[in-house]
Amino acid sequence: MKGYEVISSLQDHIGENDLIVSSNGNISREVYHYLAKPQVYLRGSMGLPIGVGLGLAVMNPEKRVTVITGDGNLLMGFGSVITAAYYKPHNLKILILDNSQYFTTGGQQTVSSAINFSKFLESLNIDYFQSLKASQSILDDNLENFLTTQGLNILHLIIEEGKRELANIPWHPIKIAENFLQRFD
Amino acid sequence: MINLDEFVSFIEDNFDLVSGVPCSYFKEFLSYIPSQEDKSPIKHLSATREDEAIAIAIGAALSKKRALVYMQNSGLGNIGDALTSLVQLYKLPILILVSYRGLKEDNDFPEHSIMGKINNSFLGSLNLLYWDLNEKDWEVSMQKAITVMDEQSSPVVLMVKKGVLSQ
Repeated sequence: MKGYEVISSLQDHIGENDLIVSSNGNISREVYHYLAKPQVYLRGSMGLPIGVGLGLAVMNPEKRVTVITGDGNLLMGFGSVITAAYYKPHNLKILILDNSQYFTTGGQQTVSSAINFSKFLESLNIDYFQSLKASQSILDDNLENFLTTQGLNILHLIIEEGKRELANIPWHPIKIAENFLQRFD
Repeated sequence: MINLDEFVSFIEDNFDLVSGVPCSYFKEFLSYIPSQEDKSPIKHLSATREDEAIAIAIGAALSKKRALVYMQNSGLGNIGDALTSLVQLYKLPILILVSYRGLKEDNDFPEHSIMGKINNSFLGSLNLLYWDLNEKDWEVSMQKAITVMDEQSSPVVLMVKKGVLSQ
């Protein structure tokens, strides 16, 4: 299963109470095209989506904040997983889409396969974690729990490489921020 | 040193979230900032890196909350991308307190000497608005920073020298 298929599967689960932070490159583009708008589509900010999601979650306890990040991005800001696990906001969900590649920049290998994610996530003593190979039945069985279990939840999914050709996000980042901020008027 | 009861109470009145990486120049200040467990109107999150602190602050700014970040000027070297591809690109306001290491008080700390020398040109090359936080007129400086960051929706840096927020 490919990353964009996982992201489009979130469609049925995401409502008005959901705030999404997506990591730069294909993931932000896919979130923009497949999920309800507006969300926080990061463009640069490599390594920072979990930090942004943590700030949003702590400031908005009545909302559900989901961070969608790739493995390269996760590795660059790895300390943020530890910070999130320390503060454990009850409304923060982190979805890691792991293809072991910097796919957006041409498929260069990352070092993510050095991590045993099940053991690592277990060590964080968080409320929900799974490390699984993505498939439709795996999503059917796990997405709801991942999103609705109260607590800091992390779902690590091994995905296949591959993308759909999608148009670039048409909004300038200033517009992304303005549109998102309107959700708090 | 600034009266920390007054300073922290000003922060609690004007900010929603504080995040950062410590410096000994903030030692007394940070002992006055409530931890996450305390019942305080502000949230305080300790970050693993300075760019992470910026990201956490931006999460607050993206929901119309006001955030303060603190770091040593060595951390300026870690936040270039967070500033240029997040804070400035998305045009969001945050206030950053930066301890000014590498001045003559730090003669015995060569690790701060190079950033100390280039501190202002470094801030200038990032087009950052900055001025000093002083013991005498700290409230004016803080108020001006809040006005500028809100009106321009931009980051503002306040440089903090030795003895201003620590003994």
